[in-house]
Amino acid sequence: MIVSWNWLTEYVELAMTHDDLVDRLTMSGLNHEGTELVGSDHAIDLEVTSNRADCLGHIGVAREIAALYEIPLNLPDPQPATCSESISQVCSIAIESAGACERYTARLIRGVKIGPSPEWMQERLKSLGIGIVNNVVDATNYVMFECGQPLHAFDFAKIKDGKIIVREAQAAEAFEAIDHRTYQLTPGMCVIADSENPVALGGVMGGADSEVSETTVDVLIEAAYFDPLTIRSAARKLKLHSPSSFRFERNIDSENLDWASRRVCELILQSAGGELLEGVIDAGNPPAPREAITLRYCQLERLLGIKIPVDFIAPTLEKIGLAIESSDEQSVTAVPPSWRKDLTRDVDLVEEVGRIYGFEKIPDNVNVPMSASYRPKADRVIDKIRSVLTAAGFDEAVTPSLVPQPWSDAFTPWCDSPPLISSQPMLGVLEEYSHNIGAVNLLRRSLVPSLLEVRRINDYRSNANVNLFETAKVYLPSGQQGIPDQPLKLALASHRDFFAVKGVVEALVAAINPSATVQVNECNEALLDASQSGELWIGEQRLGWIGLVSESAKKQFGLRSEATVVEIDLGVLENETQLIARHANQSPFPPVARDFNFIMDEEVRWASLESTVRSENGPLLESVKYRETFRNEKKDGSGKKRVLFSVVFRSQEATLTGEQAEELCNRIIANCANAHQAILVG
Amino acid sequence: MSIELFLEQLEALAQAASKAFSEAADSDQLDQARVEFLGAKNGRLKSLQKNMGAVPGDQKKTAGMKLNSVKNSIQEAFEAAQSRLSSASGAGERDLKFDATLPGNAFHVGRLHPITQTINELKDIMGRLGFTPAEGPEIEDDYHNFEALNIPRAHPARDPLDNFYLSVAESTSGNDSALSGNPLLLRSQTSTVQIRVMENTQPPVRIVSLGRVYRPDTADWSHYPMFHQIEGLMVDENVSLADLKTVLKLFASSYLGDEVPVRIRPSFFPFTEPSVEADYYWDGKWVEFGGAGIVDPNVLRSVGYDPEKVSGFAFGLGIERLCMIRHQITDIRYLFTNDTRFLHQF
Repeated sequence: MIVSWNWLTEYVELAMTHDDLVDRLTMSGLNHEGTELVGSDHAIDLEVTSNRADCLGHIGVAREIAALYEIPLNLPDPQPATCSESISQVCSIAIESAGACERYTARLIRGVKIGPSPEWMQERLKSLGIGIVNNVVDATNYVMFECGQPLHAFDFAKIKDGKIIVREAQAAEAFEAIDHRTYQLTPGMCVIADSENPVALGGVMGGADSEVSETTVDVLIEAAYFDPLTIRSAARKLKLHSPSSFRFERNIDSENLDWASRRVCELILQSAGGELLEGVIDAGNPPAPREAITLRYCQLERLLGIKIPVDFIAPTLEKIGLAIESSDEQSVTAVPPSWRKDLTRDVDLVEEVGRIYGFEKIPDNVNVPMSASYRPKADRVIDKIRSVLTAAGFDEAVTPSLVPQPWSDAFTPWCDSPPLISSQPMLGVLEEYSHNIGAVNLLRRSLVPSLLEVRRINDYRSNANVNLFETAKVYLPSGQQGIPDQPLKLALASHRDFFAVKGVVEALVAAINPSATVQVNECNEALLDASQSGELWIGEQRLGWIGLVSESAKKQFGLRSEATVVEIDLGVLENETQLIARHANQSPFPPVARDFNFIMDEEVRWASLESTVRSENGPLLESVKYRETFRNEKKDGSGKKRVLFSVVFRSQEATLTGEQAEELCNRIIANCANAHQAILVG
Repeated sequence: MSIELFLEQLEALAQAASKAFSEAADSDQLDQARVEFLGAKNGRLKSLQKNMGAVPGDQKKTAGMKLNSVKNSIQEAFEAAQSRLSSASGAGERDLKFDATLPGNAFHVGRLHPITQTINELKDIMGRLGFTPAEGPEIEDDYHNFEALNIPRAHPARDPLDNFYLSVAESTSGNDSALSGNPLLLRSQTSTVQIRVMENTQPPVRIVSLGRVYRPDTADWSHYPMFHQIEGLMVDENVSLADLKTVLKLFASSYLGDEVPVRIRPSFFPFTEPSVEADYYWDGKWVEFGGAGIVDPNVLRSVGYDPEKVSGFAFGLGIERLCMIRHQITDIRYLFTNDTRFLHQF
């Protein structure tokens, strides 16, 4: 809301400096956004919060100033003279949609002479940046910016049969507005019609047909109250926003219609002449009287944290327009004014008294009691994970939670149900390359596709060695009522090969729990290579998936080079996390290390070989380390491989003897021969 | 000359040479000693060598071996002295083939996203002030996102065009979900977590919630349809705006690393009354910090608290704005494009 300094002086004496005024207004709720010099005037831009429709006119702002500076407020009292003819004989109003329009008033001026508005009015409107039209239209604008009540002037000759009908728009009803564009109306919108056609889109904009022009002689003045929601949805649907719709949307003062109507008639009579017909047509219902509010003084200190002098309270409420009913040492009871619909409870008055008294008087150094805070386990786990991954050279990415269809379908390991769809797409979040991929309106069920897009962008920009991770929620509809499952996942996308990335996952698991081990089972995911992929498990819990991105998926995501991806359930990791490590005694005795080289069938998996090696060897076996695999078809025949590994034995009780070590080794050789037909190489 | 005498002379020479070399204080003195003992013409070793001829024939072999070993030890003593004087550290001669100015082996430590870094810092600060982090779902229902927060049905914030309302693929109702019952949506603010925590906890409450929130703005340099918020909530007996102002001042001072003035000015939010906008004073001007206020009694009532017995404050800040100001990031979209060159800056 832009206010003119000169205009304000009409209602309050501005003895303060400009800077002092805008500071006080900012600190009492009208944030100063800037001031421009317009001729000899200051155009002051104030931010008006949506609860303060009363400050969308100069009088409202002047009232604030009067309360802040404790100075008198002078308001005009328009009493325009009327002629003997009565408006009710020539005009009628019917409100058919009371939900959209609670109250509609009209006055009629006959015999105006359209011309320019007076210079003082033009100057004030220009300060606000409002275009100048003529002495009638300018007067309606002037009064709107004076008191916040939008007004409309019709050329009465264009209102067929002198009938005003406030009704709902018909489907596909066409309407040409003052901006000379034609709008297709829909039911739910409120139109002002004469006996045949719409002459205005109620509360939003007048019609071109009934516009006041040079030939206009008789002017019908509308002052009405329209329902905020109706106006907002109409303005939004038609993308037609006006100072009028802006005000109605914010729920203006419905009691002020008559004052505004008289005020604009007075101004028109002054500058355009003519005669005001006797009376006003007042259709609909006047607003219900306001209920009194009791403010207990103790609430002020309790909520504001400061003591406010009792003799400050009631006079302040009076200054901002409340009518005091009674007061004593403990409380005051007052009726809020019609223009402050936001005041209904004692807590609302706490804010009023507090802000006029000054929030700057509230201390910023009180004793807030100390209190222990806790870091949730999930936070600690994620911190550990982040430190392992950054140490492993992975950078963290943050990507949007909504994805287009092809990404949504590309990888859905956690969930078979279709994704949740958003009513609105995310706009402007895709790189140009992906513009044709479709609307970004699906809640993702995996993070991997988003990371592959990040990978593509980096490939395209020739950024080498791209290793990314993200921790975020995925959204898994279950088909049941209520809020869907939205578990936290971790995804990796790396240029490194399968085992390098698997090593990172193993390090991650080791960091959160040294005794947990990761197993890999076969999987069948189209996004992943058929061989170089697998499901990750910790014990009986499925941790997630790992795999090289398949050739077809590489193409789909526009990748220029290999990528290995992982997606892991952070819930499983959290379950497994051992936050406080436990000490175990380390043997002081030397270890015995032995290397083994077995020939076996290609089918034998390392995981199963390792478990054979470990079996029956109890606590004496300290570690089994895989070393290498060789293939020598000439020597060993086809379908065979040689697997090298090292075993370390150690006892907690004594140095192992050569015989003990020999026995352990023989057991390993026998077990491997039994279970896998593995033959030890000399 | 008897072999004994010859060996004795050799031994004495070795000791004298070793002493002279080790006592040489600079290269000139060392050179003098070198000439004295190892000089090719009149050096003492050379002179002594001449005595070899006088040693009886059958003992010449033993004498020769000893002579060689003494020769070596004198030479070693000289070299040791030489290297002692040539480099103070005694680390040997410099090998030009070794270029210590070549770069070390590349070793990339990954970076946390600047948003994460900002969140971690804010969480840390709030933790020190006694606020425990709390989590809530990103998919919320209408009740927790609006109703319980005192945002009435007619409020513009509930406009279907301003929210990501959700439906399931098979559902035929489609966008109607925005209008019926208790529809689901992506939360538009982290205040929802306040409700979820208070529903399940009795006062006192001191929490901080952080996370993703969603509003359908078209992405441009300063908007993104997904962003992050931090929200603090403190409820107890007699919590006032003075407590809020104090906590905000401590928070801002910790974050900026210096004691900064904080001011609050009236504003409007449905879930707080009084509502305020908080600013901090930095670099000669007031900078918007975020929205705050005293929790509206309707909100307290909706979670079963008695507004006559307890009161509380809440505040919410946009993480992206804080992060962008701090790191001088000029376009919010950089944060979500994840160009690794961008990420490596932080």
